[in-house]
Amino acid sequence: MTRLKTGITEFDEMLRGGFLEGDAVMVAGAAGSGKTTLALQHLVNGATKYGQNGVYVTFEQLPDQIYRDAAGFGWDLKKLEEEGKFQLICTSPDLLVTKNGAEDLLGDTIRELNPRRLVVDSLSHLQMFVPESDVRREVYRLVMFLKTKGISSMLLWENPQILGNSYSITDVGLSFMVDAIVALRAVEIESSMRRALGILKMRGSDHDKHLREYEITPHGIRVDQPFSEYEGLMSGSPRRVASEKFVDMFRSVSDKKKHGVS
Amino acid sequence: MVEQTRNILERLLSSDVKADLLVLFHKNPGLIDTMEGIGRRIGRMTSAVDAEIRDLVEMGLLKVKIIGAAQVYSLDKTRDKSILEEAAVHIKSIN
Repeated sequence: MTRLKTGITEFDEMLRGGFLEGDAVMVAGAAGSGKTTLALQHLVNGATKYGQNGVYVTFEQLPDQIYRDAAGFGWDLKKLEEEGKFQLICTSPDLLVTKNGAEDLLGDTIRELNPRRLVVDSLSHLQMFVPESDVRREVYRLVMFLKTKGISSMLLWENPQILGNSYSITDVGLSFMVDAIVALRAVEIESSMRRALGILKMRGSDHDKHLREYEITPHGIRVDQPFSEYEGLMSGSPRRVASEKFVDMFRSVSDKKKHGVS
Repeated sequence: MVEQTRNILERLLSSDVKADLLVLFHKNPGLIDTMEGIGRRIGRMTSAVDAEIRDLVEMGLLKVKIIGAAQVYSLDKTRDKSILEEAAVHIKSIN
């Protein structure tokens, strides 16, 4: 099986080497969770480290901010465009889902650039323009169009929930259409906000089942250690696992003895 | 040639809307959208951008394509580059 490395070492380890080639991956998370950063990093690393050209399709009103934000991480998207390794397409979501929309919009770019990776930012915008009953059919059509062209896609989904005690990826039932789901979410631990990344699904491959902490650094996303000391992160009510509580109690008793407190 | 370049420059600088459109397409060279979508991106009504977009198409700066039932517009990067080069030569010759 050919794997597509994201270039984020620890994340690729979680994916057992990378996403499977040709897969459709959903990255779900609230605003500010780093979806765009993760997607751009995936494309930039693809183009610069692995020789795989990439396309970023955005429905944002002011996509020039993407060039600016990417530059903040040291990624020169305009230079990659000039080198023919990357292309940013901005359009209205309704165009992508008209009859032959994907072919008409992306066909020329696919022929010119021969991309192996493509990001759609975001499916949530698509939902604003397409009747809810049609969203699944249109997303399915788009995913199959890209798969037919041999392109691995990353589809971003904005989850309105930043924190909370429940977690649903999408409320229009898109989860089963994609091959892999990566969830990014904020968690509150001991009164501080931290970020957790988890792979909820990866069809046809083993993957790391742990939730790992990640940070958005000046160089992009960095994935750290699993939250091994906590449970209940996805439920929004994290608590220390029993063994950690025991260690704390032991430390506390030990400290008291050391200081002669009975 | 000089006359032609001067005409192009005069047309490009003939209205605020056209200037906004040029800035929009230069900042977002990958923009492909309908007239309505383009208007929305610069905070204008379709009626305000209609004639200006058609003029840019006529000048060859924008390309038209049909997607479904919609006409969409995008920057013709090759033509844009040649117009910029011609304009630079023209401006230097004035100085």
